[in-house]
Amino acid sequence: MAENKNAKYRTEIQQMMFVSGETSDVSPETTSMIESIVQQQVMEMLKRATELAARRGVRTISTDDLIFLIRHDKAKVSRLRTFLSWKDVRKSAKDSDDKGGGGGDAGGVDDFDLAANDPTLGTGPSVGTRNSKNKKAKVGLPWDVSSFYAEQVPEREDEEDEEEEEMNAATLQRLKQADERTKGMNAEEYLHFSECRQASFTFRKGKRFREWAGFGVVTDSKPNDDIVDILGFLTYEIVTLLTEEALKVKAAEDALKRESGGDEEKRGRKRRREPGLFDPPEEARTPVGPKHIQEAFRRLQKPDIKSRYMHHVPKGNWQRPLKLI
Amino acid sequence: MSSTPNRFAINGHPRIPNGVNGGPHRASSMTRVASGLGAESEAKEDDHEDDPIHAALQQRWQDTEASIAALFGGDGQPRRASSKPADAAPTESGAPSDAKTTSAPPKKAARQIDDDYGDDDDEDEEEEDVEKQSPLKSKGKAALPNGLSPNHLRAPAPAVKPPAAVRTTSSAVSDPAKSSEDVRKQLEEDKKAAAEAAKLSFQSMFYTYENDRDAMLEQQKLDELDREVENELSTGQNGTANATSATAGAAAGQNTTQGSLGSADLGASSLTLKHLIARIDMKRDMVKASDNQLRTLISEVRKGRSKWASEDRVGQEELYEAAEKVLMELKAMTEYAQPFLQRVSKREAPDYFQIIKTPMDIGTMIKKLKQFNYKSKKDFVDDLNLIWANCLKYNQDPAHPLRKKALYMRKETDKLTPLIPDIVVRDRAEVEAEERRLHSVDADDSDDDDAPLMASRGRKAPKKGATSSARKAPPVAVEDTSTPVPEDRKPAMHPSASNLRNDFLRADSEAHDANSTGLNTPPPGLATPLGVNGVHGSGAPGSQADVMEVDGFGHSATSAIVEDPDEDDTEFKTWKQVTKKDRAQAAAERNRLFHGNRYPFLNEEEPALLRNKAGMRRWIRQQKMLTEKPNVEGDTQEGAESTEQPAGESTLAEGIEKDEDSTLPDYYNPLSAIPDLDEKWKWTTDSEGYVVSQNEQGMRMFPKDRYKAPQGSLTNKMETNMHQMQETRKICAKIGIVKQMQIQAQTYQNQFQKYEPQPFLEQDVGPVVVSEEGPLMAPWVNRTAFQRSVGKIFYHAGFEDFQPSALDVVTDVASEFLTKLGQGLMLYHEQPRKEAETPRFTFEEQVLHTLDENGMDIESLETYVKDDVDRLGNKLGVMHERMKSHLADLLRPALGDHAGADGVGAFNDGSEQFVGGDFAEDLDEDFFGFKELGLADELGLESLSVPLHLLQNRMHSAYQAQNQGPVPTSGLIFTPPEPYEAISTENIGNQIGLVQDFFRNKLRANRDEPLVEDEDLPQKQRFPKPRLPPTGKISSPRKRPLKEQQQAAKKKRKLEESEEKTKTLKPLRLQMPDAQENGVDPEKDAEANAPMSPESIGN
Repeated sequence: MAENKNAKYRTEIQQMMFVSGETSDVSPETTSMIESIVQQQVMEMLKRATELAARRGVRTISTDDLIFLIRHDKAKVSRLRTFLSWKDVRKSAKDSDDKGGGGGDAGGVDDFDLAANDPTLGTGPSVGTRNSKNKKAKVGLPWDVSSFYAEQVPEREDEEDEEEEEMNAATLQRLKQADERTKGMNAEEYLHFSECRQASFTFRKGKRFREWAGFGVVTDSKPNDDIVDILGFLTYEIVTLLTEEALKVKAAEDALKRESGGDEEKRGRKRRREPGLFDPPEEARTPVGPKHIQEAFRRLQKPDIKSRYMHHVPKGNWQRPLKLI
Repeated sequence: MSSTPNRFAINGHPRIPNGVNGGPHRASSMTRVASGLGAESEAKEDDHEDDPIHAALQQRWQDTEASIAALFGGDGQPRRASSKPADAAPTESGAPSDAKTTSAPPKKAARQIDDDYGDDDDEDEEEEDVEKQSPLKSKGKAALPNGLSPNHLRAPAPAVKPPAAVRTTSSAVSDPAKSSEDVRKQLEEDKKAAAEAAKLSFQSMFYTYENDRDAMLEQQKLDELDREVENELSTGQNGTANATSATAGAAAGQNTTQGSLGSADLGASSLTLKHLIARIDMKRDMVKASDNQLRTLISEVRKGRSKWASEDRVGQEELYEAAEKVLMELKAMTEYAQPFLQRVSKREAPDYFQIIKTPMDIGTMIKKLKQFNYKSKKDFVDDLNLIWANCLKYNQDPAHPLRKKALYMRKETDKLTPLIPDIVVRDRAEVEAEERRLHSVDADDSDDDDAPLMASRGRKAPKKGATSSARKAPPVAVEDTSTPVPEDRKPAMHPSASNLRNDFLRADSEAHDANSTGLNTPPPGLATPLGVNGVHGSGAPGSQADVMEVDGFGHSATSAIVEDPDEDDTEFKTWKQVTKKDRAQAAAERNRLFHGNRYPFLNEEEPALLRNKAGMRRWIRQQKMLTEKPNVEGDTQEGAESTEQPAGESTLAEGIEKDEDSTLPDYYNPLSAIPDLDEKWKWTTDSEGYVVSQNEQGMRMFPKDRYKAPQGSLTNKMETNMHQMQETRKICAKIGIVKQMQIQAQTYQNQFQKYEPQPFLEQDVGPVVVSEEGPLMAPWVNRTAFQRSVGKIFYHAGFEDFQPSALDVVTDVASEFLTKLGQGLMLYHEQPRKEAETPRFTFEEQVLHTLDENGMDIESLETYVKDDVDRLGNKLGVMHERMKSHLADLLRPALGDHAGADGVGAFNDGSEQFVGGDFAEDLDEDFFGFKELGLADELGLESLSVPLHLLQNRMHSAYQAQNQGPVPTSGLIFTPPEPYEAISTENIGNQIGLVQDFFRNKLRANRDEPLVEDEDLPQKQRFPKPRLPPTGKISSPRKRPLKEQQQAAKKKRKLEESEEKTKTLKPLRLQMPDAQENGVDPEKDAEANAPMSPESIGN
């Protein structure tokens, strides 16, 4: 998977990594590794979602199937819901404004991404395209309370979902980090940053993505746009997560090196250098390498303890299923 | 010998009292000086040798004497008086004990004797020890033990010295006195300690019951003996008894005077007085009263006397008191004394009386005692020894078992006899005569001097005497006959010693005489013979001892060995002796339970064994005592000491009050140790006397509610949530109906399933009988119960219903999981402990480990509770509110957004706004006049629309069905009338005659099925409601179905045809077919016909 010809998202991945905190240039090996990981994840998701749909007796996967796959990560679900509802808003706004531009939904997603993640605003779209009449519709989940009942009841305005807020905490934290990072940026840098934030696996590359993700192979359905958008969102999340984790791994490694290995190395050659005038800046020293990514992936694949149950079941050559990040 | 002259030189006056005083002093000093000296000192006394130690002793003695002399030197009278008190000691001591014994029943006397056993044993042991220490010379040995014993001996022979010491209060004199007292105290303490230790060991050691039977039998014999003696006495001695009792009064008077001889001695006899007297003695110089006065005073205070007291017979009380005690004590050693209790009968031993000329036994002695046949100690002791001697004589075979007993008894006798004061009972007249003579005559010096030594010797001897006499039984009897005999013999062995001893004996006896007679100075003539007698009393064993010393000293060791089997386990022996009586009693009680029955069966008539509080208290106390042994021991010792009296005699009488509880250890009274019976073990009978069988207590009902979820906050929350869901679902169902009705033009009665949730009730298992604690092991029941729980959780998770297979699967998984949890818990719980006390894992750790092992943690549990229960509750509440408001919106449609700007939209979507009538509200128009009617105010309507469900029939019926549940519960005052009975062929006769035909026809049309009410008809078959045509003018009553119309037309035609034939039938016929064909209910018909009738009539 790491072959160059297969690497279709190098730029996007680089951009995403930049947004996630990896400032320096990343080697193609790293990106291709990330790409393959993401691809694997996406395929797995599709496969499972298809299975779920098949269980319901449906051939096409729905958004619920996808959400169901990541249901345990409540923060992610929450983000996804926010994303979907804003997408909805955008769509309706566009519909009402009769402004369906090229790219349609995808464009909306893009805008939304920009808006939702805008560090300066935090919440709410900054784009003026939003029709004030449009309400942010909540995306209901099959396991929500509202689905307990046969009748669907319109939402009420005044109800604040405290659960939602809680779930958003992680998102807000992420936004805050981005805010911190962008504080010291000048206009150009910020522009670059915001451009990078728009990086997507799916935006305006729907066809490429479908091929890449194995639509028609993994799932024989023709996915609707929602699915693709969700996948785009999820892939972004995966890359972010991987990068963050890899950065952590690298930080730990660096720390360790500084403690022991580095010392040893330095002692072997020469005394630790005094920080000189022309030393490279600290943070931009070395980019995250494939091994970091690998380690990060390993860590993320670490089974949570809930899966320990039923381990006693005689399983033969049983392989732990891939964990969706 | 040298000491006495000295003393006399100093004193210069009456020797006897001094001698009496001095004797014990010296004896005590000797004892203190030590071992091995005894023989030498004796020898010295004869030979006037000057051994350095002896010299020192003498020096000391002289000093003491000098100081005494200095104290008393002034006048002879007081001194004489002072000597008297010393003499009086025994009498005094006897008196209080008499009092005690008289008050206490004879049995208690036996108890006292028990107490003394310890003493004697201890003494023996000490003596033996000493003997072993100095095995060198037989003489020395003999003397040595003597030296030790005097302290104790003085008790009976007594108290001569201590009183003197106390009285003088001079340090010099009190030195030896005190020392001797100390020694005595020491001895007593030892005794007490031994007794206590023994008692404690009784508690802590288990003695088998096997000796109890013997004890019981012996005790029975004893009692028999007592009875026998009593009988004989009462029959034979009535006269004499009277006589003695007559004399008693006089004797009592004399005794008082005698008793008052020494205040100090008085003290010795009575506990209360002792302190008083000690006090007086301490401040003697401050007391103005003379000794005589004091004595009389105290004597007045003193209590009455014993049964032995007699005015005319001087000394009888004391002698008999002591003698009786000795006798009782001997008798109480049933193990050994048993053969000697009764006279040997000819049947038992045909030739006995050929060999034994003067038979004697304890029973006879008691008899004699009670008949006042004994004149002196000697008489008594002679008789005693005669018993043993007879036995030994008759049973010549050395292996004869009785010999052993006799020897033992003799040994005991020898131990006990010194306790008897050497008193010769004399008539009062005689005594008074003596008194008169006294002034002129002085007592023998030598007698005085030697008295103490001899006393000690006599005292000492018993031990060996007993053993030695084992071999030389016959001589004993001979010896007893007279004093000279032993004296003669002794010289043969060891002249000087025996002489000396003789002297001592005499002195001792004199002292005793003095005591007994209460004379200051007994007349020498009398004194000597008496002394001889007295000496013999106490000295007879002594002489035996001497005999034994000669050839038998080697035996002393062997004798000890011989007796080993018995004495070996002194604890056991003590046990046997001390507890014998109680054991006998216990055994008797036990025996009684089986009385009159063959052995293994209990006697049903016997009263039940019941615990009593006293016994339980005692048991607890003993248990406590055992646990805190050391302290208690100390305490009791002190207590015993304080109650202890200086005179050995009085110790005999002691312990009555102490001994109220039995000496038996608590395992003899197992009832007391039994804790309370459990309620269900009790033997209870119901009112009819049947035993309430409580065996089923083992089999009991399975506790209720075990199969219900325990009440907890989590359970409560979940149940609240579920209830909330049900409520919401109810609303949901209504919304669904409303929505459906809005869509459908027509609804049917059964179109909507009424949602009537049942409250969740957990059913408990039926009554089950189980035999033990713990869960009910019924897999199917448990599984079902678990499935119920799982289902509940399902419901709580939002599933209104679920497939059984899902339930099964989840139940299996959950039970598997829980099983693993349980196993994990068990595993961690049973981990071997590192330390004994603390388990390897605390409970918390166990739980955490187990959870972790199974992929759970506290956080996830908490999350579940927080998110899936708590928050769900909130959400459900919110949802419920939303549903409610939504329903309200649905039911009261208002001009909403969809109505459009000008209200055109209000006509869209089948809006019922105009039907409801509130369309005019915006205009403030009261279309229906509700405002005018005051309905708005009355009902608090915010909008003046007619509620939809009131307006529309279909709504109404739908809602009626919907609300059937709540209605009955809302508490109607009147129960709704029962629905009319469906008209059928059976009950048609009940209808009024007019309509019967009509109904019959209907029924026939309905194929004799019961008629159905119009309202109950299926929707489609109902007669359509009349509708106003757009013109608003009711043109025709209703539109008939085509068929009907055709039929009606036919009918009309027929009618017209038949009208001509039969006019009368017309109206009837007009209606009948109509009803027939119509197939509608009468009401409907009537209703329908009402508008119709004009037409038809018109037609």
